[in-house]
Amino acid sequence: MIEEPYRWVEAIANRREYVETQLAAGSPIAAVGYRDGILILTLGRARQKIFEIYDRIVMGAIGHPGDIERLRMAAIELASTEGFTRSAADVSLRRLAHYSLSPVMKTAFEQVYGPPYLARLLFAEVGATPQEDLFLRVEYDGAIATNGATLSQVRQDFAVLSATRQSTELMESFLKSALLADATLESAINSALTAWSVGHMTARQDGTREMPEREAISKHLQEQLATAGIEAAILEREAKTAIRYHALSDEEARSSIQQ
Amino acid sequence: MALDQISSGANEDFPTLLRRKGMLDSARMNFDQRAGPVPSPQGVWAPTESTTILAFKFAGGVLVAGDRRATSGHTVVYDRADKVLEIDRHSIMAIAGVPATAWEMARVLEHSFQYFRRTQLQEMSVDGKVRALSKLLRDNFGFVMQGVGMVVPIFATYDQTSEPAARLYFYDAMGAQFEAADYAATGSGSPAVRGILYYENTWGETPLQKLLEDEAVAIALRALDTAAESDTATGGVDRSGKIFPIIKTVSRDGITTLPEQKIAAVFKKSVA
Repeated sequence: MIEEPYRWVEAIANRREYVETQLAAGSPIAAVGYRDGILILTLGRARQKIFEIYDRIVMGAIGHPGDIERLRMAAIELASTEGFTRSAADVSLRRLAHYSLSPVMKTAFEQVYGPPYLARLLFAEVGATPQEDLFLRVEYDGAIATNGATLSQVRQDFAVLSATRQSTELMESFLKSALLADATLESAINSALTAWSVGHMTARQDGTREMPEREAISKHLQEQLATAGIEAAILEREAKTAIRYHALSDEEARSSIQQ
Repeated sequence: MALDQISSGANEDFPTLLRRKGMLDSARMNFDQRAGPVPSPQGVWAPTESTTILAFKFAGGVLVAGDRRATSGHTVVYDRADKVLEIDRHSIMAIAGVPATAWEMARVLEHSFQYFRRTQLQEMSVDGKVRALSKLLRDNFGFVMQGVGMVVPIFATYDQTSEPAARLYFYDAMGAQFEAADYAATGSGSPAVRGILYYENTWGETPLQKLLEDEAVAIALRALDTAAESDTATGGVDRSGKIFPIIKTVSRDGITTLPEQKIAAVFKKSVA
């Protein structure tokens, strides 16, 4: 099969479809910059989906728990050994994603006889200034998208992860218009929750490219908040200790909700 | 950075991970070549060593103090050594012995606690932390037997969930851990320090555990100064160079490094 190029391309296409189906039920995750750092937030019922990787790096993931776990362990292992042998300042998300995670995920995805990673990862790294904050998404095939300025986008102060491409784009377009510069944590939590609602609604409507009505978004959010917990964490820019990661409890996050 | 495909962080502690990656070498015990002092151009080579650390529980938690001198044989190598190291938000490790080994141990320990929390998604227990240091000392025993790399640390931590919350441990060079009820001191100047702390705790105006911070700082400074009086390897307080011991406290709110001005003020008022 591998010897025939057409078959290989077909196998990869099938595999892409298979992985997308597997990821379709994932609850979206939003990471947004605010005045004092970065907030990452999702709603969930069962598993933890937001993880501390290193002093200034956080990861959110959707996908198969086993695969997420392998990638999470690998990321922590790399960051920890790098931080130990050199220094914490030498641990960088850019290197972690570009040189380690992406090649491995691409290889696993394209070796059609082996299993691919059923996972989509969202990382954020808090810098010394907001301009140095890095948001980065690694797809199951190793593709990387960052918040940096490119040919098709200006630099963004957020990144999202969702089950489908359409819902990802809608979440992004919502945050592009709604996220305030120099926002407070409270305002960032509300923007992230609304973005989550946009992603969650539109991921379930096949192929929709329409932004839902404002009222429908908030109604959907209220319904979901009644049965699901908020999982959130912040990376603080200024902190007394080297560790900037700080998990927010459900109550802490809920107390910021503006009706 | 290469990604290890057979990652198994779930059942592995950080030193094991470092060893798997060849980043941490333990000394191998080699009794056939038991090394004595090694001759060097300056005479007999002796490893750099640091001395005299003390810790005791006071009203605000645990106070840990260390003088600043590092010596090699009869030579003073450094007079601003920091022997009181923060390991995490609520743990302090103070070291007497060879800093080359001790600082590396502190780094391993610091990363071990973080690594455990990040991979296992829970904080390591106080017992686990105390044991982790014990294991590192045990792994280092080969160096100790070769006459280099001996480390005798003190470990102080504050755990709100346990009773008592302030916890203090000292170790021997093989890794045995001893929990101290009130105070601990190790290093070459420690006999004098232990004498003072025992005296203060038993017959002093206030038992150590009831001391307020300023009083506790004064006792720590007096003890280190007394140790330095008879032990040349202990720096005590350098009056001409204005070099003061490092003093840190650990309490419910975490670790505080006392600013030098504050130590200087207490020194001026109660010690000098």
